[in-house]
Amino acid sequence: MVFQEAFEWYIAVYLFLAGVGAGAIVAAVLADMYDREKYLSFIKAASVIGMPLVSIGIFFLYIDLGQGMWKPWLLLLLFVNPTSAISWGTGILTLFTIFSMLYAVYNLGLSRYFRFAGGWLPRLLDGMGGSGWMRWMLVITGICTAGYTAVLLGVLRAIPFWHQTALPILFIISATSTGISGAMIVRELAFRTEDSMHKIETTHFYLIVLEILLLAGMFFIAMQGVPEMQFSAKSLLNGRFAIEFWVVLVFLGLLVPAVVFALGESGRLHLKGGKLIFFEALVLLGGYFLRFLIVHAGVYTQKFTDYIQ
Amino acid sequence: MKKKYAMAYIVDRCVDCKACMVACKAEWEVPEDKFRTHIDTGVSPDYTDTMRMHFLPHQCNHCDDAPCVTVCPTKASYKREDGIVSVNQKICVGCKYCIVSCPYDARFFNHELGVAEKCTFCLPRIAEGLAPACVTTCPGNVRVFGDINDPNSEISALLRDAATNHYKVWKLRQDLGTRPNIYYIQK
Ligand code: SF4
Ligand code: SF4
Repeated sequence: MVFQEAFEWYIAVYLFLAGVGAGAIVAAVLADMYDREKYLSFIKAASVIGMPLVSIGIFFLYIDLGQGMWKPWLLLLLFVNPTSAISWGTGILTLFTIFSMLYAVYNLGLSRYFRFAGGWLPRLLDGMGGSGWMRWMLVITGICTAGYTAVLLGVLRAIPFWHQTALPILFIISATSTGISGAMIVRELAFRTEDSMHKIETTHFYLIVLEILLLAGMFFIAMQGVPEMQFSAKSLLNGRFAIEFWVVLVFLGLLVPAVVFALGESGRLHLKGGKLIFFEALVLLGGYFLRFLIVHAGVYTQKFTDYIQ
Repeated sequence: MKKKYAMAYIVDRCVDCKACMVACKAEWEVPEDKFRTHIDTGVSPDYTDTMRMHFLPHQCNHCDDAPCVTVCPTKASYKREDGIVSVNQKICVGCKYCIVSCPYDARFFNHELGVAEKCTFCLPRIAEGLAPACVTTCPGNVRVFGDINDPNSEISALLRDAATNHYKVWKLRQDLGTRPNIYYIQK
């Protein structure tokens, strides 16, 4: 069995940051649709990280490209092949970046800095950023961005562990969960209000539980899968990535936050300040390791001597 | 009729001397730690009296339905009229997506050039009427290269012969739908 080594940690960072940025915006827009006034601090915090994190993620992809630095004009060609998932992703990410920028300008009241040429620009920007269709476009392109990061891997038949439908669902859930964490941290640092974020916290708790269940399900299925898939799964469960998998992803990234948030749910713990930031950061750490481990556990279809009878 | 290049390996002639790997490397200045063609070794059937070692050459299969071509965002990877799957290094952006998409692990990243690289069936050599370097070098005559659309080519004759004599003929991982163009023959 041969582990793929072409996609390395740069790609994992790209998938992770694109997920956090998109997840934060999707969570914020849903909160916005529900009750804008109440969740304004959360919406603002998510707007601060949404577009920038996706852009930083794209930057990691860019420096990973063999030719990104030498022939940047080739990036235009990333759009040209309709059968390539990278081309779909480039389109989706471009749209999402533009929409989330407009949304951030509106939420953070930045349009006033564009007051020239007769003042029509701020009105236009706010009109677009605050419109109902923009919210829907953000939800759609945001979910597509988060899901795409897994579809990118999932379309590859060459690596059975990636070639599974559960992956995009897992990545969308993880993106939303890490997006909420990112926004909660920024809110705590910069926009703290006394408003209760209870509904968001509850949602966050259930997302983490769902992620644990889905991950467990994925492993049960992978262990019954083709040999390459089993090999990938075992490399995480008791092979070369086992320590990172159990300690960082499962324990620190999922179980600890799940227990802490469960205590919060039942009212036995009230998280705020440094403690909140710490546990939300654990979720982010788990989110990164989820991508990192899935990328690295990819094993090519079986070597061929096994096919000689 | 259009040309369609393919290669066959008569696998039971391979002695794992790796001359093909060296010839390919010398011909194309392949980076130090990489090879465009490999020899896999395997033992089968495991732990029995008849257990024996097998040597299996492999390289790019120049698939008819090549995933590396499908996933390449810039269309740098493409399938030529004559069946050869090629990489246009001028427009390859070095995203490595083709590398992870190939079920045969036939591609690698050339760190010096920043692009994806793989076997080209020795395109410049065959344009001059020469055989690929690995074919010329192989001391066991394992490798047979040619145009399978030409009934008089050596490879067509070999495949006909294999069919009449009921030799075992197969391609790698046909279940994946890539329609490879490397034939494995066991006499
Ligand atoms: S063997 Fe791999 S690199 Fe060669 S054509 Fe097929 S998929 Fe592409
Ligand atoms: S590395 Fe080059 S040839 Fe391969 S998919 Fe990317 S752009 Fe295409």
